[in-house]
Amino acid sequence: MAIDQKYTDLINADIDGEIGSSEKAELEAYLAESAEGRALHQELSSLCSRLDALEAVEPPPHLRHVIMNTFTPAPVAAKRPGFLQTLFATPALGYAATFAAGVLLTLSLVNSGQISIRAFDDVTGLVGSVANPVGADTVGAISVDETAIAGTVSLRSVGSILILDFDLVALEPVEIEADYTDKTIWFNGFAQLESSGTTISAESGRVRLRMEGKRRYAVYLQNEGGRATTVKLRFTTDGKVVHEASLDYASAR
Amino acid sequence: MIERCKNGDRKAFEGLLLQYEKPVFNAAFRMLNNRDDARDVTQTVFLKVFENFESFDPSRRFFSWVYRIALNESINWLGKTNRLEPLQHEAVDEGMSPEQAVDSENLSAGVQQALMSIKTEYRTVVVLKHFLGCSYGEMSDILEIPEKTVKSRLYSARQQLKDALTGTGIR
Repeated sequence: MAIDQKYTDLINADIDGEIGSSEKAELEAYLAESAEGRALHQELSSLCSRLDALEAVEPPPHLRHVIMNTFTPAPVAAKRPGFLQTLFATPALGYAATFAAGVLLTLSLVNSGQISIRAFDDVTGLVGSVANPVGADTVGAISVDETAIAGTVSLRSVGSILILDFDLVALEPVEIEADYTDKTIWFNGFAQLESSGTTISAESGRVRLRMEGKRRYAVYLQNEGGRATTVKLRFTTDGKVVHEASLDYASAR
Repeated sequence: MIERCKNGDRKAFEGLLLQYEKPVFNAAFRMLNNRDDARDVTQTVFLKVFENFESFDPSRRFFSWVYRIALNESINWLGKTNRLEPLQHEAVDEGMSPEQAVDSENLSAGVQQALMSIKTEYRTVVVLKHFLGCSYGEMSDILEIPEKTVKSRLYSARQQLKDALTGTGIR
């Protein structure tokens, strides 16, 4: 015999904790007399317990970073784009232009005794590599999944050049140190997809970067002779190390 | 906090994101049964939330608005990927022996598969009730349907889930 809808409603309300005291008393009286009602109550309770027992799924760690960087929440007054913005907004010119911007930025920010005019000549010749990184072999990659910063850093190799490819999202300013053990390897250039947002300084055996937001950029290291080396990466925010990792390059010889 | 968000306060946005990221992702995951799809839907939901703050009616509860967008986006996603129709019950059995079915991990997967086998309108009420912890009144507000309809839909959904699980040997 089918159970009266009034009682199926009461059974569901009881399981869902949405039953009043008088309704509860009415349901209990019904259940005391109806084996069918008790069976339904038991089955639905068991089903609901099973559903409630399913654990919540954790969102991907970097999702929040990506969402925060997908939009610009602050209302921005409309203004005419400048020449550089127009240039960077043109897809075909984007890489080349940002590379040029990167070189200019590097020229203005890098304080390295190692860098020679020849080094920048070499970097200029690498525009094709920036625009088409597929040509470089990926030697290794690391993932970063921290609250402050998330994304990947990969190490690529093409000829005598090592390329550190950063694809990161940072919720706050993050400083990244890339230490390379072989001091004969020298900083050769920098390119980024965005026109601003990352600063870089280089010294013997080390490159320091500072970034915030969603950024994609590459650091070029000259490795004459393709010697083996290890690049140690340290991510710091507010003076506190939040992540450390290393990337190894085995000798090409 | 909503007012601060409307004024473009990034920290306030982040606060809302912290509060709602997990429930929205979970709702999408339970609706779609795919982490990548749930991630994409979650991104879209927050983009819509942030873009449409001005249209939010402050007399309504904020979470109702967000959850409504999340469920609508999930249903849209199912439509785009032609997965609006429920999976056949046979799919629940796939690769699962009776022994495996009692294993807790498979049990959880079995329940999720059973959830995917019922129509989206029924799955929606189950997600609201069991994964977002909404009351009948809140569900009525979110779905914009009478409370009476919520109750009957929930009961039907549970009956169908029960049948789907029984079909898999999970009781």
